Amino acid sequence: MISIAGKKTIRKINWRVYILLIPGLLFVSIFTFYPIAKMLIMSFFNWKIGYQQVSDFVGLDNYKNVLTDPIARKAMVNTLVYAVVTVPLQIVFGLLIAVLINGTKRFSVTFRLGYYLPVITSWVVVALLFKYIFSNQGLLNFFLSDILHIVDGPVGWLSTRWSALFIAMLLGIWKGIGWNMIIFLAALQAVPKEYYEASSIDGLNRRQQFFYITLPSIRGTILFALVMLCIGAFNTYTPIAVLTGGNPAHETEVVLTWMYFQTFNATGKMGYSAALSMIIAATIILITIAIFISLAREEN
Amino acid sequence: MSKYKIVGFISIILILVTSVLTGCSSNSSKEVSSNELVTIEFWHNYDAGSGQVDILDKLINEFETENKDIKVKHVYLEWEALKNNVVTGAATGSLPDVLRGDIAFVPQFQSLNVLEEMGALSDYIDVASEVLEAPNSTAKMGDKYYAIAANTNTKILFYNKSILKKTTAQVPKTLDEVWDTAQKVSDSKTIGMVEPWTGIWNVGPYIWSEGGDVLAPDYSTADGYINSPVAVKVIQKLADLYKEKALAGPSMDPGAVGDSDGWASGLYALQLDGPWREKSNIEAGVDYGAIPLPAGSKGSISVLGGEDFMMFKTSDDAHKKAAWKFIKFMTGKHAQVEMAKVGQMPVNKEALTDSEAIKAIPLLPVFSEALQTAKARPVTPKWSEMENIIATKVAEAITGKKEVQKALDEAAAEIDKLIKESN
Repeated sequence: MISIAGKKTIRKINWRVYILLIPGLLFVSIFTFYPIAKMLIMSFFNWKIGYQQVSDFVGLDNYKNVLTDPIARKAMVNTLVYAVVTVPLQIVFGLLIAVLINGTKRFSVTFRLGYYLPVITSWVVVALLFKYIFSNQGLLNFFLSDILHIVDGPVGWLSTRWSALFIAMLLGIWKGIGWNMIIFLAALQAVPKEYYEASSIDGLNRRQQFFYITLPSIRGTILFALVMLCIGAFNTYTPIAVLTGGNPAHETEVVLTWMYFQTFNATGKMGYSAALSMIIAATIILITIAIFISLAREEN
Repeated sequence: MSKYKIVGFISIILILVTSVLTGCSSNSSKEVSSNELVTIEFWHNYDAGSGQVDILDKLINEFETENKDIKVKHVYLEWEALKNNVVTGAATGSLPDVLRGDIAFVPQFQSLNVLEEMGALSDYIDVASEVLEAPNSTAKMGDKYYAIAANTNTKILFYNKSILKKTTAQVPKTLDEVWDTAQKVSDSKTIGMVEPWTGIWNVGPYIWSEGGDVLAPDYSTADGYINSPVAVKVIQKLADLYKEKALAGPSMDPGAVGDSDGWASGLYALQLDGPWREKSNIEAGVDYGAIPLPAGSKGSISVLGGEDFMMFKTSDDAHKKAAWKFIKFMTGKHAQVEMAKVGQMPVNKEALTDSEAIKAIPLLPVFSEALQTAKARPVTPKWSEMENIIATKVAEAITGKKEVQKALDEAAAEIDKLIKESN
């Protein structure tokens, strides 16, 4: 009797859970799964968005166009470089600051607030501020040429591909450190104090404690940050859009700014953009799987 | 949870979902009987800051008083939003009844199959005969009219008087003198010329004035036009100026100061620009002068800008009729003079010579002179893509990334590929 009653209760709870899940599921289905499926379909068509226009099936042509397009390739390289540079540096600096703040007894809230402030500031606002600092007639050039007199004319920080991307990366790192710090701080506080006490009795110094206790204990958090930051890096749009607009001559384009350009500035190359976004999605999925596999291997 | 609660919960969800779905579609039903009040939706980008929207409100009021059975609901959308909303609305048919937008939108929207062929309206020819022919040529694709000119503009050469005086430079009289002046006045605190973009809107006038062109007259090829010796020579000149820091612009150098900011701070000396430059220079207190583009070897040929009125296929007959009535009112002398008072250059021939309009736009005579020879950019569906190709290649050439001839050859090849694909 008891077991039957128990089963009944479980079923009841399940029903309730399912019903409560329905609105969320519906929302995600309509606004996430459906667009993804639709985009996959679009990527195989010369998708016409005009009124009562018929789209032609073109097979893999859109993918071919994306992969042979020199600007798309440049945008992919730029995005990859952005990810490879900003993701590890955000984690390293975020972790470093988290460890330092975790060790301080006074003013820790002040430091946390200070480092977290860039995170809650609008991307557009900080990107514009960076633009004012680094533009030809900007603050930095004024400082270098008019005050310090160490350069003759304005330095074109935003004028060429790599220096402009470097500024964008600087912005991305500066803005991302706070988020990493908060995530790592939470993880650090969850590491049992006893580990450190025991290890110091065993004679481990601070550095050894960090590598043999802290890092292995927050491994899951690092993995989480790594995946989230990779997704974020591939989704970067605002810093480039505001700082350079993809200029000069699409040299500083990242995949999302190029996708936006193809969709709207070139009047609705929807199929091309859909193929490009499917390629980005596939890349992100592959990178995530690779991160999981490599970390799982290390654990084994 | 009781059964009733579950049923209640599901019903609420169903009601919510259906209300969302029906909410989306309610806009599309515009059926009305003939004597009912017809409300037309009008999308535009009249500038609120310069009082254009106030004048529009006033004009709509007058129109509604004259036409008791029509109501005009106007919606302001910024330039890019205006275009994007039509691009995204084309698929669903959620479009306005009337739109006043950039002349460059006409071929783009026509390629989306959303524009009503206005030339087929019985009195279109009569109405079109009252407006300037050149601006209205932007409404024509093939032998059909898909729009009517709303207002026009062209670019003239603005110069900073203080900079020219300080460097004892003369106001240029020929295109070659423009380049010389730009070079002469440039130093560490001054840049001779600014071009915010490198499309045909920007470099077209220089190429045309030297006798070159962008596409073949029948739009069949770009080869031999955009990469012709004349075009190469003009772009090479711009590349030389850029190298000497006598030419700047954000699309060539993202770190460059924007044109309005640069004018206000006295950084830029010359710019070929439209009527808005007059307004912003007055606001910024810049001591400036303006002349039509000094002539090149084949004359002074500036580029035609401005806006057209468009109607959409998605409207029903009653709305189309009301929309056309409204457009006729807006292209009439009265509305055009009113709009001239807030900086919109008229297309209506009578309004152009109206004393009030001339009083409102002091440079109107200079613009009118430039309009005599101004040229429209090609009106072809893929034009925006073509101009993007040109802008990219010209930027590569000017910034020295590629040899000018090579960059323009690539532009011609890419454009020809596009032409072939769309045929």
